Amino acid sequence: MVAAVEVRGLHKSFGALTVLQGVDLCIGEKEVVSVIGPSGSGKSTLARCICCLEEIQQGEILLHGERVDGGRLRNKAMAHLVGMIFQQFNLWPHLTTLENVCLAPVRVLGLAPEAAQERGAALLERVGLGNKLGARPAQLSGGQQQRVAIARALAMEPRIMLFDEPTSALDPELVGEVLEVMTDLAASGMTMLIITHEMLFAREVSHRVIFMADGNIVEEGTPEALFLNPRMPRTKSFLHRMSAHFGTALVAEEGGRR
Amino acid sequence: MTLDFSVLVPYGHMFVQGLLVTVKASLFGLSMGVVIGVLVGALRVVPILPLRALAATYIYVIRGTPLLIQLFLIYFGLPSLGINLPAFVAGIIGIGINSGGYVGEIVRGGIEGVPKGHWEAARVLGLSYGQTMRCIILPQAVRNMLPAFGNEFVTLIKESSLLSTLAITELTMVGQQVRSVTYASFETFLLVGGIYLLLTSVAGGALQLLEKRWQVR
Ligand SMILES: Nc1ncnc2c1ncn2[C@@H]1O[C@H](COP(=O)(O)OP(=O)(O)OP(=O)(O)O)[C@@H](O)[C@H]1O
Ligand SMILES: [Mg+2]
Repeated sequence: MVAAVEVRGLHKSFGALTVLQGVDLCIGEKEVVSVIGPSGSGKSTLARCICCLEEIQQGEILLHGERVDGGRLRNKAMAHLVGMIFQQFNLWPHLTTLENVCLAPVRVLGLAPEAAQERGAALLERVGLGNKLGARPAQLSGGQQQRVAIARALAMEPRIMLFDEPTSALDPELVGEVLEVMTDLAASGMTMLIITHEMLFAREVSHRVIFMADGNIVEEGTPEALFLNPRMPRTKSFLHRMSAHFGTALVAEEGGRR
Repeated sequence: MTLDFSVLVPYGHMFVQGLLVTVKASLFGLSMGVVIGVLVGALRVVPILPLRALAATYIYVIRGTPLLIQLFLIYFGLPSLGINLPAFVAGIIGIGINSGGYVGEIVRGGIEGVPKGHWEAARVLGLSYGQTMRCIILPQAVRNMLPAFGNEFVTLIKESSLLSTLAITELTMVGQQVRSVTYASFETFLLVGGIYLLLTSVAGGALQLLEKRWQVR
C-alpha cells in the first residue's frame, strides 16, 4: 500500500543554518503520529515542508504517492491532500466563522456558495460551534478559534492533517476542547501528524510517537515504548525535563536517574 | 488695520466656483491616486523582482520630486511629445500620479501589516496569490491603512492649490483673481485659508467616521 506521507532524505536550511538534516519519515493511511522534541529541533519546519510552505534543498516528499515538493502540484490538488493547523489559528479576522470556512471551497474547489455554506455549517456543528456561524474571530475564545481553523481545513476534505502545536497558544482550560475535536478526528480515520507538547494526549491518541532533536528523528516507536522505555539518552532527558515541568509521571520512575 | 470682508461679497459666486473646482480636482485626483496606489502598493510586495523594482522606482521618483515639477512636466512638457492636455485634465493626472506614489507606500505598509500566517493559511487551503490578495489581505490592509490614508487626502486637498500655476481657476486661483481687483489681500487669503480648513476638516472627519464604523464591525 502507498504511504500517506513519505519523506525521504529531507534537507532544509535557512541560509547557513541547517534545520533538517536528512529526515526520513513514513506515515501510513489513517495513522496518527505525534512529533515531540525540544524547541528549535525542526518540528515546525518538517510540517511546513510537508505542506509545501517551505522550499526544500534536498530530498523528496510524497503524499499518497504523489511527489509534492518543488511546487509540483497545483494548489487545488495540494489542498485536497493536506491541511494544516497552526499554533496561532490564523483565522481571517474580517470574515465570519462561516465565511472563513467557506472561502476556499468556493474559490478553490468551485463549490456553489449554498453548497459550501451547507458543508461549512455541518463542519462547524461537528467541532461544536454550530451556534457561532456569524461570529467574527475576535469574538471567540482561543479554543473556539482553533476549532474554527480545524473546520476550515476539513472543508477542503484533505486526506492528511498536520497540526503544529495546536494548543500551545491556548489558556490551559481551553486545551481540552481542541484535543477532544482532534481525538474525534483521529477516531474517524484521518491521517494525522501532530506536533505537540501535550504528552498525555500524544500518548493516548497516537499510534506512533517520534522524538526529534537537532533536525533529525532521534527515536520513534509506539507511545508505550517511547514514553515508558526510551532507548536514547536524549529522549530520556527530554522526557524527564517535560515531566518535571508538567508534574506528570510520563516516564517510568527509574527512567532517567542513571 | 481693520478687516473688511464685505468687499469680498460681490465675488461670492467666484469663491463657490473655485471651491467646487478644488473639490472636484481633489476627488478625481484621489480616485486616480487610489487606483494607482493600490496597484503600485500590491506590486511592491509581489514575489516577482522586476515588478517589485518597478513599483519601488515609481514610489521613489514620485516622492523624491516636487508635485509642482510633475505638474509642469505634464502640462508644459508633454506637448513637445505631441500630447496636449487641457489644464484641468493635466492637473488631475498630475495629482493622481503624485498621490499614487504616496498611496502606494501606504498600501504597501497596510499589506505588510497583515500577519504572515494569514498568507500561509490561505496558501495551504489552495488559494492563489491573487485570490489571497483580493479576499484576505487587501480587505484587512484597507483597515490598517485608513488613518494614513486620511492624512494623504488632507495633504492632497491642500496641494491642489498648486493647480493655480496651470491657470486652473480653483480656490487659490480665485483668491489671486479677487485680490488683484479688490486689493483686499489679507481678507481674501484669510477667507481662502478658512475654506481650505473647512474642506480638510470635513475630509478628515469623514475618514475618521469611516474608521470607527469599520472597527465596530
Ligand atoms: N523562516 C526562517 N528563517 C530562518 N530560520 C528559521 C526560519 N524558520 C525556522 N528557523 C530556524 O529553524 C530552526 C528550527 O525551527 P522550527 O520552528 O522548525 O523548530 P521547532 O522544533 O518547531 O521549535 P518550537 O518547539 O520552538 O516550535 C530554529 O533554529 C529556527 O530559528
Ligand atoms: Mg514549532
